[in-house]
Amino acid sequence: MNAGQKSARRIAAGNGPISRDTVCVSCLHRLTHPSRRNASTGTALAESPSSPTQQPRHPNPPVTTAKAPRKAYQLLASPVLSRPPLLTRDLTSFEKAYYLYQKRLNERLALPFTRYFYYKKGTPGDAEWKRKIKVRKTPARDIGVYAAYGDEGWNDEVLVGDRTAERESVVEALLRDAEGKGIVDEEVVGDKDTEGLVVAGDAKVGEGQRRDLTKVEVERPVERVTEADRANNMRSLSRKMDRTLYLLVKNREGRWRFPQDRVHGRENLHQAAERILVQGFGIDMNTWIVGNHPIGHHQMNYTSGGAPAPRLAKISPNRLVSTSRDRPEYEQEEYGEKVFFMKGRMMTGQADIGKNEYGDSEFRWLVKEEVEEAVTGGYWKSVKDMLAER
Amino acid sequence: MALLQEVTSSFLRRFRAPPASLHRIWASQCRHASTEAVAQETDELEVSSFLQAEGPTQQAIERFDPAGVAKRRNRRLPPSRYQFRSPRYYRGPLHPHQPPRPSEPSSREFAPGPFSLPRLEQTYHDTLASDYMVLAYAHLPPGQTAFKKGDRLRRWEGDSPYFKNRPLRGPRGGDTLRLLRKPVTFRNVPQLQRVTVHTMSSDAINSGAALHVSGMVLQAITNVRAEAHEVKKSVAGFGVRAGMYLSLTCELKGEDMYHFLSKLVDVVMPKMKDWPGVKGSSGDFSGNIALGLKADEVALFPEVEVNYDMYPPKLIPGCHITIHTTATTDQDARLLLTQIGIPFFGKLVN
Repeated sequence: MNAGQKSARRIAAGNGPISRDTVCVSCLHRLTHPSRRNASTGTALAESPSSPTQQPRHPNPPVTTAKAPRKAYQLLASPVLSRPPLLTRDLTSFEKAYYLYQKRLNERLALPFTRYFYYKKGTPGDAEWKRKIKVRKTPARDIGVYAAYGDEGWNDEVLVGDRTAERESVVEALLRDAEGKGIVDEEVVGDKDTEGLVVAGDAKVGEGQRRDLTKVEVERPVERVTEADRANNMRSLSRKMDRTLYLLVKNREGRWRFPQDRVHGRENLHQAAERILVQGFGIDMNTWIVGNHPIGHHQMNYTSGGAPAPRLAKISPNRLVSTSRDRPEYEQEEYGEKVFFMKGRMMTGQADIGKNEYGDSEFRWLVKEEVEEAVTGGYWKSVKDMLAER
Repeated sequence: MALLQEVTSSFLRRFRAPPASLHRIWASQCRHASTEAVAQETDELEVSSFLQAEGPTQQAIERFDPAGVAKRRNRRLPPSRYQFRSPRYYRGPLHPHQPPRPSEPSSREFAPGPFSLPRLEQTYHDTLASDYMVLAYAHLPPGQTAFKKGDRLRRWEGDSPYFKNRPLRGPRGGDTLRLLRKPVTFRNVPQLQRVTVHTMSSDAINSGAALHVSGMVLQAITNVRAEAHEVKKSVAGFGVRAGMYLSLTCELKGEDMYHFLSKLVDVVMPKMKDWPGVKGSSGDFSGNIALGLKADEVALFPEVEVNYDMYPPKLIPGCHITIHTTATTDQDARLLLTQIGIPFFGKLVN
């Protein structure tokens, strides 16, 4: 016969000390150790074995209730929309020199290139390879003319001022190789009778040369420095492609800030940030708000002559927030502003200031240093740690 | 005696600190970018010949031509002038011939590299890591205590006196403990750690050439020499004997790993036909995700595609790719890989 839970509780409530003789082991456990899931009971348990005078220590102490009436602040959400860097950064001179040297050492240490694994004997590709390798002496195309296994293999270091490691030279070498030329111009072969020029009829002399019968058109890579960089067009997203660009607007007071607006109704910060981007710049921006919580905050108290000067604000419903339309326009005395910044990433599109509903006059995409110059000191202090270095 | 006193006093003067106000000393120790601060610092430096030495003259620079000097030399140099082999064995710290560091080119253990700054590594550090930190943050409002989990190892509960110091019991369901997940902060954002590419060919049971071809393919796509592994136990059903070399692995770290993953995500995955993505249940509960590529998909790598005809038909192998991350849960690893661009499909199992 099974006694069950209820009888166990009756025994626990009524009679004396409960033990294994009066209830089963599992009921005994449940009765003597109530659930630990509730934080308050957890602390109660911790208290009972120890002395009753010990206070439970909270990692986050609760906010003490204020005695004075609570002050209202204007609650604002502000999306910090950034276009992440689209290009890798330029290498430093040390990095360029280091990588070139390591590549040349690799040529010396790696096994020789197995030509016939890549080019079949007698094919035009094979002939092209033989022609090109004679000029550059090494299979690699970006380390200049260097014979790793030759007599001058020991001379692997370049002299100061050498441009082999520069990006422009590497790109030039690769393009020349793609066009079918050697990476450097070959010396013209001839004798003193022909004054160093190749004679057309002499087959022997002209063996190593080739004439450009067909010009191979190779697409050049797009420049890293764009038109927007040269014109310093601060509204363009193609400017400073190796840096993060942040979207700032000039508000109706003439200050440069991240776009911001009041949080209406029962919307959360994520929703507010998305709405602000649409209401501020139109729908032609493909954006993503990262996470549901802010990455920073800024507080500004309304003061006049050092003393708090609360302002009366009229809060009207917003057409895009349905929960704000439940309540008609109302007034609230506000002691300042509390802005919460939400991280946003821009994929494609562009801002359209014509669609702005907040009275902002213009927008700019700025890097971190330019943001510092544009915004005021107190705002910059709140904002600077959110912005990426690159 | 007087001379000795003079020498001693001048000697001591150099070691005595110059009489300076505390403010000046503090100001000099602060790092400012202004030229005044720099001038102040250089004033306090000791006089040294290094600072006063001039570089080479323009004429010396123009005439510097080591290759030319070597070409014009008629006589043959003694071998000791151009040959050097670092010692093969370490004979202790007091031996006159010390082996150079492995990073020295003259060392026997020198491995050249790195050759570039990978784009994926830069993207991770500039963009992905900060986004990850924001996504993985769990907010605790002030006044609320964090949810206190039960003990991982359970105590023995009961009347019996033997329970008191008994070793703790494992969790319900089994004795294997999962890795603890530390909250993600700026110091421990999950990163890519290494990638293992593995292939096993059953053709290699009968022909040694199959294993060589697999090794060449792996070497081509990973830039790392493959390591062969022998079978540990004979299984008659598969026709396999212990000691046979049938499988190969490549361990990729650092630059090679980033280049391989970039190629995989940007070149190979878009070309794969009818590929839904990596299975959502993939993962070893410790933050390492694995995926497989078939033979046709391995042939899509640019290094294999360029000389596809050179490989014997049907001997290009498929492979397993295991991506090890510093995440401790599958969920965290999957978030990182999704940021990199790897799609997942199906039910996500943690």
